[in-house]
Parts: sequence; C-alpha cells; structure tokens
Amino acid sequence: MALLSLENVSKTFGGVMAVKSVSLQVEPGEVLGVMGPNGSGKTTLFNLVSGALVPNSGTIRFKGAPITGLPPHRICRQGIARTFQLVRPFLGLTARQNILVGLGYGCRPLSGSAAREKSEELLASVGLEGLGDRPASTLTAMDRKRLDLARALATSPDLLLLDEFMAGLNPQETSEAMGLIRRLQARGLTLVLVEHIVWALLELSQRIVVLSAGEKIAEGPPTAIARDPRVVEIYLGSIPFP
Amino acid sequence: MLWALLGLGAGFTAIPLFTESDYLLNLGVQLFLAVALAQSWNVLGGFTGQITLGHAAFFGLGALVTRTLWGNGVGILLAIIPGILVCIAFSLLIGGLAFRLRGDYFAIGTLALAEMLRIIVGNLLPGISTIPSTALTNYALLPRYYLGLALAALVVGVAAALARSRIGLGMQAIREDEAAAAASGVGVLGHKLLALVISTGLAGFAGGVFAYYHASYYPQYPFSPLWSFEAILMSFIGGVGTVHGPVLGALFYTILKEYLAVRLVEIHLLIFGTLFILIVLLLPGGLVEVWTRFRRLVHRGS
Ligand SMILES: Nc1ncnc2c1ncn2[C@@H]1O[C@H](COP(=O)(O)OP(=O)(O)O)[C@@H](O)[C@H]1O
Ligand SMILES: [Mg+2]
Repeated sequence: MALLSLENVSKTFGGVMAVKSVSLQVEPGEVLGVMGPNGSGKTTLFNLVSGALVPNSGTIRFKGAPITGLPPHRICRQGIARTFQLVRPFLGLTARQNILVGLGYGCRPLSGSAAREKSEELLASVGLEGLGDRPASTLTAMDRKRLDLARALATSPDLLLLDEFMAGLNPQETSEAMGLIRRLQARGLTLVLVEHIVWALLELSQRIVVLSAGEKIAEGPPTAIARDPRVVEIYLGSIPFP
Repeated sequence: MLWALLGLGAGFTAIPLFTESDYLLNLGVQLFLAVALAQSWNVLGGFTGQITLGHAAFFGLGALVTRTLWGNGVGILLAIIPGILVCIAFSLLIGGLAFRLRGDYFAIGTLALAEMLRIIVGNLLPGISTIPSTALTNYALLPRYYLGLALAALVVGVAAALARSRIGLGMQAIREDEAAAAASGVGVLGHKLLALVISTGLAGFAGGVFAYYHASYYPQYPFSPLWSFEAILMSFIGGVGTVHGPVLGALFYTILKEYLAVRLVEIHLLIFGTLFILIVLLLPGGLVEVWTRFRRLVHRGS
C-alpha cells in the first residue's frame, strides 16, 4: 500500500488553477522528486498535503486513511512533517526550544529529560551541536535551514516534505545538504523533495514527478525524465545532468 | 531568577508585621492589582502574541459580578469565583470570533468589544456603587492586602508554570509563527483559546479583588480602556513575554506613578507613553533585558 496517495487533487486561487487534478503515489521508503518551473504548483502541493491549504476537490490519503481537510497539526501528528521554502524557524526561541516544539507535539511526544536528550541528538544530527542555547534569530541562513529540518524531524515523521532545501546554498553547503538528505534516506525515512537544482534532484530521487502550470506532465525514473522531450522543453532544453 | 520572585513574595508577606501604615498597605494593594493585570495580559499578549486591547473588559466583568454578589450577602471568596467563571464563559463566547482577526485587526476588534461592554454597563448602571454599610464600618485594609498578595502570587505562579510547560512553549511557537507551529503539531486555535481563558479568568479574579478593595466607584470604571493600556505598558516596560518582566514593570510603574502623582498630578501618562515608545524602539526586551545584559557583562568581567 502507498504511504501517501493523491487522487485528482485540485486547488484554485481566485480562478487560477495552481494544482490541476494531480494524482500521485509515494511508496514507503521511497525518495520522490518533484520538479517544475517557478509557479508550477510545487509549494501549493506541499501545502495541500500538510493541511496548510484545503483542496477544492480530490482526495489525499495517508497510510490508507483520508486526511483531506484535516487541520495541519493533526496531519503532523499522523506522521507528515515539512520544511518551508522560505525557512521559518521560531526566531524568538532558542535552537533547542525550536526542536522541543516538534518533540513535544509530534507523532511520538517526548517530555522532560527524554526530550532534552533527544533534542541534543537532533541538533548534532543536522550539524548544530553546541548551538542549542542560541536564539534562532542569531543563526546563519544555512543553520536556520538545518534548524527547520531538525524541527521537522523532531515530530518523528514517517513522511518528510522538503521544499527547496538547497536553494541559496553555496556548492560546499549544497554537498553538505545532499549528505544530510542521503542520511535521512538511509534511515528509511520516506521523502518528497522539491528542488530547483535539477542535477541534485535527479541524483537524490528514485522517481521524479514533473509539474507544469499545476499539471503533472511526466513521471518516471530520473534517467528517463532527463531525456523526456516534454521535460526538456519546459526547461528550455538545458538540463545539466552530469 | 525564580528565587527573586519567591523572595519578593516573602518580603511582601512580612511587610504588615513591621508597619501598620495605611499608605504602604494601599500602595501594596495597587501594586498587586498591577502585577495581576500585567501578568494576566502577558499570558495572552506576551506568551501567545495575541495583542489584546480589551483586557479591561474582563477586569470590569469580574468586578461587576463579584461586587453584585458580595453586595447581596455572598461571602467575598465565594463571590470571586462566579466572577472568574463569567469572564471565562464570556471569553469563550467571543474567542472563536476574535481569533478570526489577526494582528492589528485583533487589537482593534478586542478594543471595540471592550468599549461596547463599558458603554452598556455605564448606561445600565449609571449610579455609583458603594459597599454594604456593614462592610464599610468594619473596613480593614489587611484582608485586602493579603487577598491582593494571594492574587498576585497566583497569577505569577501560573505564568511561571506555563513558561516551563510544553503548552507554554506551544503558545510561544504560535507567537513566533502560526503556520510553522501548526506544521509542528501545535493546535493553534486550541492554544489561543486556552491562553485566553487563563488570561481572562485571572483578570476576572483581579476585578474581584478590586471590587472588594474599593469602597465606592462607578461600575464602568474598571472597564476603562486605561486598565488595558496600563497592563500593556507595564508588560513592555518590564519585558514582554517573560515571567519576571511584568512583575518588574508593575513595580516600576506603580512606584514611579505614585511618586509622579504626588508631584506632577496627571502628567504621568505622558511620561509613561514616552517611556513605552522608547522601550519598544530601543530595548524590545524591557528592563529584564537590561538585567541579563548587565549579568553577561559581569560574567565576562570576572
Ligand atoms: N496563497 C496563495 N494565494 C494566491 N495564489 C497563490 C497562493 N499560493 C500560490 N499561489 C499561486 O499558485 C501558483 C503556484 O504557486 P506555487 O505553488 O508557489 O509554485 P512553485 O512552488 O512551483 O513555484 C502561482 O501562480 C502562485 O502565484
Ligand atoms: Mg515553491
């Protein structure tokens, strides 16, 4: 059974169809890449799955049960976590407190010393060891991304949605970020990735879905997608696949 | 730092053992009411980030209910509880609606609601409210002082417990970013309503103490928006969103206001308004921030 499935999901914003009757499935343990030009509906798709937006039509199922229309905190507690394209750590809280929010309210809530121990482990796992007491507002852009990821991981998700995690990173940071994502994958976490850095997406994903103007126009393994004429066309024939 | 608050509480408990000065006891009651107003506002406005300008509505409602029951022969402690319950019920009634408003609209909406209530009360009960004559002849300051102290201790205790709890952290996450909080599993509306219930219930208790303390006042007086503004002023001066800030702010405000009122009569609001703007612009952490910065300096020096 698919971990996540979307059946004919649509979302309009005042007449604009941001997501048009999209159907897709994510299998347990899989890494699915979602690509498409700016404005093609990728973030909206994440907002629909995580409950930040409610679809106009269609059904979203998680672990077989419909979650369409559930509020975001309930969807989180069922095991779907996300990061934000423009990272949104809780700036007025310390890095550790950011993580404690996810630990306290996620799928497998922890409290007291267990939560504290786990928060140290999570800080270390994303490369923020020693920064737990720092207010999130004093962290660098890359460290805020790490923190956003740690906060999401703290909810113990079965499915993690990463929205342009590598946007704005330098080559060194990009390779660190890829290492982080690979480690999550190795732990058996199911991932859906949205990335603008196409080569990175093709390298990390086992399967790719391509969106264009809200519609799914292609789906398949990375090698096939890189050669798909429709995909090559929307990317102006320039996929820099190494 | 919690020890400082406990020490302060012990100090205020002991004061009547050393002095029978009416002046000091009256100042004490005013201080306790100020602490309660500021700290109860801080739970909703500071921890949860829902800047309400309607806090006085609940101070007024608590005073109204408690005063009415007490005037009709119900014991004061028994009369305070329905005041709190009416505040909680009323806040739940308006909460669902008010929380559809965000930011400035929430602030203005809560002010409008509170003003409506004040005007209604002013029209329905235009006469002055005087405590029962038996209570007047036996009027003693000491029970008012200790009830006020108990109120302040409860409100600060609730805020301190909240600040250390998971739910308090969830409230702070909502203040920082609602969408990110919801995505982390925090039920936004539920937490906002809980903060509202705690905040308004405590304001209702403060209103009850006010009703017990003041011999005579117009029933609409505790509904005055000035009480809301003072609560906000004190929280920001001391350090909004912290446990110590509103206590420090209330101490500072009450003492300075008393000092200024003796000398300059009405100008204190102007002074506090200016101070408020300076603090918001230059020192968003309030007086508590001055203290932490000072301590950091001392640590570095030693
Ligand atoms: N909250 C919103 N309100 C109105 N329009 C929106 C909203 N979110 C997204 N859109 C529109 O939906 C379309 C898809 O946007 P988005 O999902 O952000 O694309 P992507 O993430 O692929 O760049 C765009 O036309 C965008 O302007
Ligand atoms: Mg996007």
